[in-house]
Amino acid sequence: MVTKIEAGSQDSQPLQRPCKKCNNQEATLTSRTEPVCKDCFTQYIYLKCVRHIGLLGKETQGPYGSQPTRRYLLGLSLGTSSTILLHILNSYVEAALSKGRKSPLDLDIIVVDTSVSEQDEALQATLDAYRQRYPRLTFEVLPLTSVLGISSIDWTALPSLKQDQSPAQQLADLFERLPSTTSRADILRLFIRHILIHTALSRSCQAVLLGHSTTALAELTLAETAKGRGFSLPWQINDGVLPIEDFSPDPDNAPADKKRTIRVHHPLRELFRQELVTYTTLTEPPLTDIIPAEDVVNKASPVVSHRDLSIEEVVLRYFADVEVNYPSIVANVVKTTAKLDRLDAEERCGVCGMTLDELGDERWKGEIGDSGGGEEGAGSLCYGCERSVRG
Amino acid sequence: MHTPGRCFISIFEDEVHHTISSSKLFFPGEKVAIGASGGKDSTVLASVLKTLNERHNYGLDLVLLSIDEGIKGYRDDSLETVKWNAIQYEMPLKVVGYDELYGWTMDQVVETIGKKGNCTYCGVFRRQALDRGAKMLGIKHVVTGHNADDVAETILMNLLRGDLARLSRSTSIVTGDATSDVKRSKPLKYSYEKEIVLYAYHKKLDYFSTECIYSPEAFRGSARSLIKNLERVRPTAILDIVRSGEDMARLVPVNTAKSCACKGDVAPAVVAAEEDGLGGCGSSNGRSSGNEMAAMEKQLRQNEAAEGLEVDVSKQMLPQAQRDKENVKTLPIRGVSANPKILGKQTLGNCERCGYMSSQAICQACMLLEGLNKNRPQIQI
Repeated sequence: MVTKIEAGSQDSQPLQRPCKKCNNQEATLTSRTEPVCKDCFTQYIYLKCVRHIGLLGKETQGPYGSQPTRRYLLGLSLGTSSTILLHILNSYVEAALSKGRKSPLDLDIIVVDTSVSEQDEALQATLDAYRQRYPRLTFEVLPLTSVLGISSIDWTALPSLKQDQSPAQQLADLFERLPSTTSRADILRLFIRHILIHTALSRSCQAVLLGHSTTALAELTLAETAKGRGFSLPWQINDGVLPIEDFSPDPDNAPADKKRTIRVHHPLRELFRQELVTYTTLTEPPLTDIIPAEDVVNKASPVVSHRDLSIEEVVLRYFADVEVNYPSIVANVVKTTAKLDRLDAEERCGVCGMTLDELGDERWKGEIGDSGGGEEGAGSLCYGCERSVRG
Repeated sequence: MHTPGRCFISIFEDEVHHTISSSKLFFPGEKVAIGASGGKDSTVLASVLKTLNERHNYGLDLVLLSIDEGIKGYRDDSLETVKWNAIQYEMPLKVVGYDELYGWTMDQVVETIGKKGNCTYCGVFRRQALDRGAKMLGIKHVVTGHNADDVAETILMNLLRGDLARLSRSTSIVTGDATSDVKRSKPLKYSYEKEIVLYAYHKKLDYFSTECIYSPEAFRGSARSLIKNLERVRPTAILDIVRSGEDMARLVPVNTAKSCACKGDVAPAVVAAEEDGLGGCGSSNGRSSGNEMAAMEKQLRQNEAAEGLEVDVSKQMLPQAQRDKENVKTLPIRGVSANPKILGKQTLGNCERCGYMSSQAICQACMLLEGLNKNRPQIQI
């Protein structure tokens, strides 16, 4: 309505800076160098995300005639990106419901609580705000300790757990024995990923949705490169089906079907972090109302030290600068990685779950003269996980 | 006498020896030219190679090869250092000037095209200059002092630039092979810059360190500062990046990536030395034009704008199952010869004008020279 009135008055009072997309409203924002209005900007963000969901919907379509319910697991970190992903998916579902259609997808929303210790009050308050804002949705909190015993991790490859202690103590002890801040941040990230994937598999979800922006994926690319995981980058950055290994020691316990797979998708992969930050102020009411301060979620984890920087943080700072002046270069890093082949092999890394690169390991050992950390009884790790676990 | 310094020296030398022997870089009796700039990397390389050649009986005939770009105040002093090195290490020295090779000194180039973008000229000219100089001496192998930091920097730079072809080439320890005229290798590829500085310090080597007076910031500068920050957090990050780069090189579609010169069952990729993406002007390492990042940003934006207007029909029509299948490739099992991927677009030939190895009909240097020479009459008359 508002738009129409303004459009009508356009002849008498020309717009100072008309939106490049609709030409009907005053442009108050800049989207990829073009002046745009608030409505066009939010629509742009919404459509970029929904387009990916639509594509995923086609890929997860059941056989003809079967029940077309799609069930996805959303990993909610309570940060800007994943909150927006949640917000848009909720709007998408509600738009369908309001038209009297069936819900296009079911969401399992999982928050992994990394606080390890006792009940976290700040986290509870945050979740209350989310529940109030999205009364139709269910938010589940899984403690980080739920990673213990997960079969997609080869626990023999990690420092041994002290079985007589409480789960929280076991984890805290495990992290304490990792060699550096970077290692702890790295293993924490992988543990969260394992919990999400494991939960999705156990509930027969078809995909895990993560909120990574272009910027976040570019950071991941460079950080993983710096951690020696160049080989598995295409598996980590691109959307698609991932094979999940089962390392459970007891074969009777393992599912008969050893070849498990799950889709991992990043529906916000074409949007920059700064665009998402802007978006949080534009929704009605603004999402900034519910998104907690950084220290409540991200840095709350006591298992990672605060004193030293991790590789992730170094790369994050670097890209924060680059994105301001050269956003396309940030996007290009992700597109470039997408062009690399995904090489698959039988053997998988016991910690990150990615394909092991035997050829590369062999050659590297020859060239560097590194005898490798092939300790007795330890499972096989990829080069990057070897670094993280053993330094 | 056992001092920490002595211990470090022998460990460092052993490491370089291991790299040389595992990659089979040399054969007995080979004549090898050391690309010498007078900087720390090439000075350390000359010193280590001399030591190892005597200790392990490589049987190498070592020669110092220096390039004079013709930059007043930059090379004059470093060439003195190289001359002193030649006396110290008892190695013959050959200095080749840009004026001699191309008819242009860098000072003249800068006079013509200005300070922006001149590093492109310098880099392209230098790469050929070493090969041409080696040819003059009848030498078929040039070693350069590129270290792990340089290689890591190039990997990140090419990742930022989105240049997978260069990324895969820059990781090779040897560029060029038996079929090309001059082979290039980097024996210090796995040595940290810090180790090189330390080695030079403990061995009390004389080297000259200066930034090229013409070098501006660019992708390389950006990658370099990132690497320094990563190294501070985790010192091994530099070699971890090299490892990542080597592995990613094998994932580049349509490429036979092979980083060692050993003759396996797969035909080694012929890597064009002129395009391996590693610069090497002393300490500043061939940074190219200052506006490189901004120019690329602009280019990418234009591409993006154009992308919206076109539809890739073949991509849209392909069913997902088939696409998935195409995306997944099986690792070749060791020992069994996997069908080698063919090095696609790039077929190496020789430049029509100068005969230098090039993937184009006319090599980069000749193209640049053509542009320069067009402007020449205006200056000289």
